Amino acid sequence: MFYVSMFFQYASQYLKTRLTYRIDTVIEILSDLLFQAVNLIFILIVFDHTASLGGWNREEIIFIYGFFLVPYALFSSFFNIWDFNERYIVRGEMDRVLTRPVHSLFQIIMERMELESLFGVITGLVIMGYAATELGLTFAWYDVLIFISMVLGGAFIYAGIFISIATIGFWSDSRTDIMPMMYNIGNYGRYPVNIYHKVIRFVLTWILPFAFVGVYPAAYFLNREEWYGYAFLTPVMGIVFFSISYLLWNAGVKRYRGAGN
Amino acid sequence: MNVIEVQNLRKEFKSYSSRSGLSGAFRDLFTRNYKTLAAVDDISLNIKQGEMVGYIGENGAGKSTTIKMLTGILTPTSGSIVVNGMNPHKQREEFVRTIGVVFGQRSQLWWDIAVQESFRLLKKVYRVSDEDYNRHMGHVIETLEIGPLLDKPVRKLSLGQRMRCELAAALIHNPPLLFLDEPTIGLDVLVKLKIRKFLKEINEQYKTTILLTTHDLTDIEALCERVVLLDEGKIIYDGKLNQLQSQAVEGKQVEFEFLTEIAKNNLVFLPNVQWEQKDATTWLAHVNGDERLVSQLISLVVQKNPIKNVRINEVSTEEIVRKIYEEGMALA
Ligand SMILES: Nc1ncnc2c1ncn2[C@@H]1O[C@H](COP(=O)(O)OP(=O)(O)OP(=O)(O)O)[C@@H](O)[C@H]1O
Ligand SMILES: [Mg+2]
Repeated sequence: MFYVSMFFQYASQYLKTRLTYRIDTVIEILSDLLFQAVNLIFILIVFDHTASLGGWNREEIIFIYGFFLVPYALFSSFFNIWDFNERYIVRGEMDRVLTRPVHSLFQIIMERMELESLFGVITGLVIMGYAATELGLTFAWYDVLIFISMVLGGAFIYAGIFISIATIGFWSDSRTDIMPMMYNIGNYGRYPVNIYHKVIRFVLTWILPFAFVGVYPAAYFLNREEWYGYAFLTPVMGIVFFSISYLLWNAGVKRYRGAGN
Repeated sequence: MNVIEVQNLRKEFKSYSSRSGLSGAFRDLFTRNYKTLAAVDDISLNIKQGEMVGYIGENGAGKSTTIKMLTGILTPTSGSIVVNGMNPHKQREEFVRTIGVVFGQRSQLWWDIAVQESFRLLKKVYRVSDEDYNRHMGHVIETLEIGPLLDKPVRKLSLGQRMRCELAAALIHNPPLLFLDEPTIGLDVLVKLKIRKFLKEINEQYKTTILLTTHDLTDIEALCERVVLLDEGKIIYDGKLNQLQSQAVEGKQVEFEFLTEIAKNNLVFLPNVQWEQKDATTWLAHVNGDERLVSQLISLVVQKNPIKNVRINEVSTEEIVRKIYEEGMALA
């Protein structure tokens, strides 16, 4: 309860600050849209040359992409921890965080939120809506609940992976370039995993389970029954990966050495 | 009642050194060379409620490291800490509710938002009721004279303005214990005086316990009866400030300003008195003894030579501490 009210405190503070930089916000939303348009165009170009990709047609791939945008939007609104090492460990901001009576990870998530990324939820829903009409998909009322739990599962998988990587900063102070690499790997989850080599498929399912952020859960809504097993694992994977990252985080905080002078 | 109880506290830092050359870098991949440095080396310390304690020592002595362990930021390598009846790093979230922290070197406030927004957020973070906030903070804001600064973002404040806001922010939940790491660094005399007066006030009013580090010993003289002197991670003195003065340097300096130029052999020579020339007409006598010796010296010198002025200098804390830093603590 306290954490819920803290969330609203931080969010209202964020909006207040953001309103004074309205132009920046608009530009950010527009550049996100442009980026998403480029991704869509890429899909269209691919399907100019082929009618199906590993047994999936164009609209299905577009639907998967639209689905992916939703958990991804949640992730990028709340888990901007790609610069955690630089900002909180090297510059010693973690000192301040640790002297406040709120869990340190929660504080950092709140301080770094970027609510304008939530716009991606709308873009994703619109894209999914378009693809669903083209495909003539129908949904039951409980599909809404399943959708929400799969979206949350996907967002938590992303969060879990990126938080785990951020905690490396507690153990080693050398700079790594793993973060940008992860963002690239994350994109592989947007395409049907059966088009990849077995090893890559395994990695995307169990090691860096980005497939659960796109293709697996989307397969449920596309009525691809052969993937249902994976689809329903999405929330479980989310909980597992987020819990692992949370434990790593708590262990890391104990190792925090402060900014060396 | 002890607010802070520290036993055999120790904090080591490992610092890695990289070997030179390509083969060195390759070997670093497998076994890294490191040195262990004990930043805080087996210290024990008790502080009672309502005490104001000055924690001093040279750069790198380990003051900040100690404070970071006492506030739960760093985990100790070994030893035990009980502060406000809790273990700071184990019960961190519950614990930090009972302390206030100011790091002079680093802002505790959010950089981009107005001071009052920071205060408002902190008020929620610490779950302070409107009533308590208004009663307590109204007074704090008034005394520190930060009313006009409240609507400015922190990054637009001058150092002195910011520091006063930091202090106010640390007090939002009216903690019974305050840690101040160099709260007066870089401040002008007026702001310093303001802050000192304020600290004295809250100490008297709420019995707030204060542990502060500083490189300005006049802060300590103005505020603290007790000083803890740290050197290379070890406590080399813990006691009254005035005792440190009398123990470290026995005796006084007497400065004689003569009417005319005086040659050394015209001075008076006594055991335990050493002469030092300051300029043509001024000599300084270092007297290693009590008041009687001083008065004997003065009367003898005055009889022999025409005098313009005589001054008895108490040795300042600054000088004492400088002497201790330079020569080590022989008296401990
Ligand atoms: N994060 C760290 N990593 C490695 N060494 C550190 C770290 N923090 C402090 N040290 C070392 O520990 C020793 C004590 O540092 P500390 O900051 O506690 O000193 P200090 O007494 O506060 O000094 P100052 O008066 O300069 O603030 C120093 O030698 C410092 O280099
Ligand atoms: Mg320091």
